[in-house]
Amino acid sequence: MTLMTGAQYIESLRKLNTKVYLFGEEVKNWVDHPMIRPSINCLALTYDLAQDPQYVDLMTAKSNLTGNTVNRFSHLHQSTADLVKKVKMQRLLGQKTASCFQRCVGMDAFNAMFSTTYEMDKKHGTQYHDRFKKYVTYIQDNDLVVDGAMTDPKGDRGVSPSQQRDPDLFLRIVEKRADGIVVRGAKCHQTGSINSHEHLIMPTQAMTEADKSYAVSFAIQSDVPGLFMVYGRQSCDTRKLEKDADVDLGNKQFGGQEALVVFDDVFIPNDRVFMCEEYDFSGMLVERFAGYHRQSYGGCKVGVGDVIIGAAALAADYNGAQKASHIKDKLIEMTHLNETLYCCGIACSAEGYATEAGNYQIDLLLANVCKQNVTRFPYEIVRLAEDIAGGLMVTMPSEQDFKSDLKVGQSGKSIGEWCNKFFAAAPGVTTENRMRVLRFLENICLGSSAVGYRTESMHGAGSPQAQRIMIARQGNIAQKKELAKVLAGIKE
Amino acid sequence: MLIGVKYCGGCNPRFDRGKAFQAIKEQAHDDIEFKVAEEGVEYDYLLVIGGCSNCCASYCQYNVKNGTLFVWDGETHVDKTIDNIHKMMK
Repeated sequence: MTLMTGAQYIESLRKLNTKVYLFGEEVKNWVDHPMIRPSINCLALTYDLAQDPQYVDLMTAKSNLTGNTVNRFSHLHQSTADLVKKVKMQRLLGQKTASCFQRCVGMDAFNAMFSTTYEMDKKHGTQYHDRFKKYVTYIQDNDLVVDGAMTDPKGDRGVSPSQQRDPDLFLRIVEKRADGIVVRGAKCHQTGSINSHEHLIMPTQAMTEADKSYAVSFAIQSDVPGLFMVYGRQSCDTRKLEKDADVDLGNKQFGGQEALVVFDDVFIPNDRVFMCEEYDFSGMLVERFAGYHRQSYGGCKVGVGDVIIGAAALAADYNGAQKASHIKDKLIEMTHLNETLYCCGIACSAEGYATEAGNYQIDLLLANVCKQNVTRFPYEIVRLAEDIAGGLMVTMPSEQDFKSDLKVGQSGKSIGEWCNKFFAAAPGVTTENRMRVLRFLENICLGSSAVGYRTESMHGAGSPQAQRIMIARQGNIAQKKELAKVLAGIKE
Repeated sequence: MLIGVKYCGGCNPRFDRGKAFQAIKEQAHDDIEFKVAEEGVEYDYLLVIGGCSNCCASYCQYNVKNGTLFVWDGETHVDKTIDNIHKMMK
């Protein structure tokens, strides 16, 4: 099968029977729902750009499994150059959508599962790696979106999965049959889950023998019986339900999506099971997936940052403040922060290495440093963007007011005329364009897109402390002490 | 003359690569044909258009008889590339 177009992808979603709930009700036509569709548009773009000669070099790759051209989102990285291109692709898509485009979790899961199943088979004599290769080939051949799902609800953080009062707070195997397993539990915060053809499930943390029923990995179609999703709402999300909403949305076309994915006793056939109680490999899988995903943030958030910097500069132009030295300096600082994140994404890719299975893994220390910076710098970038934009970003009347012809006051002017009079700024700039760029910034700084740019930067791919633990493990303090001893003339 | 065209992926281009290519195409002689590069096709030359000095597009997979031209600066490389193409035709 050839690569799908964006339109074909959207049509393929209509054929699924995915169960989606929002505001306490089932959404039958979720593909066209105004709150969900912007996130689908992001994924459609991952298909369309793969057909465009100007973007093909980043958006596609040659499969090591089949030799065919595949979308890079389903590719197993074959070199450090592939890892670098992954980050560049993510920056590109961040620039084009200013949103989370949701397809990275699957790519990162494929690569982590590929190398982990190889090493698991080597130790335990299992047959997961060949199964997984067949699965990835199927995904590549059919150009599907897969939600790589890791995060469990986790309940009481002070106790292990098996010690939870409710054993379902971590996804687990509840029955082993000759032909497969039955699983129960949930995955939280699942990026793009509703828009995914398939789910690839991984354990959420390292497990011990007592927790072995939680050490489970498998793939499943998104519309099987017992599997359903509850849509995660976002700040200002109901603006998308307003009639003819446009300017007030900030970014009408694109957006992100997270959902709670529930497994209510779902049967998984054996050929789709890739870990079944091998608890000693759950830590490796988590560490590798997290490493790839922390690399990812050095691309996607940088692309979004590019758009924010551009919007802030536009806002300054429209306000007539573009020549002020402090504005120029703030734009420099935003660029410095953004490109620092990119440096980290490129560095952990360039320093990658071949796994035993043959695909390439990022440098874990540098990937964790990358993500640690991502938990901080976007916050400073949006702070500076808000500084440059001015308070009007959050106090401006609605689009309907700017367009209203209702006469108010004593001089016969309409609400729209009053708004356009008092919100005019630099010569030659329409109030509509000024309003558009400020609404764009509002959306990304504290509206529905802030989910993707701010809080996802904090907690996505692991919260800050998770990276600090990895930095501590990988930091090699002992070697640094030896360096100091040599130069200080210390002999012990 | 058949020239294969390959773009980098455009992650953060410093200029409009599509416009640069259009400028080259419009100023090139009529008997030069530009086609998006494909594997398995033989080209007289390959034109690689990168958005920055890294010019990271992969191009070794293409079958090229006479050489590869690189464009990664929208201001200075367009005219130079047209000159080079015309010189190569002589």
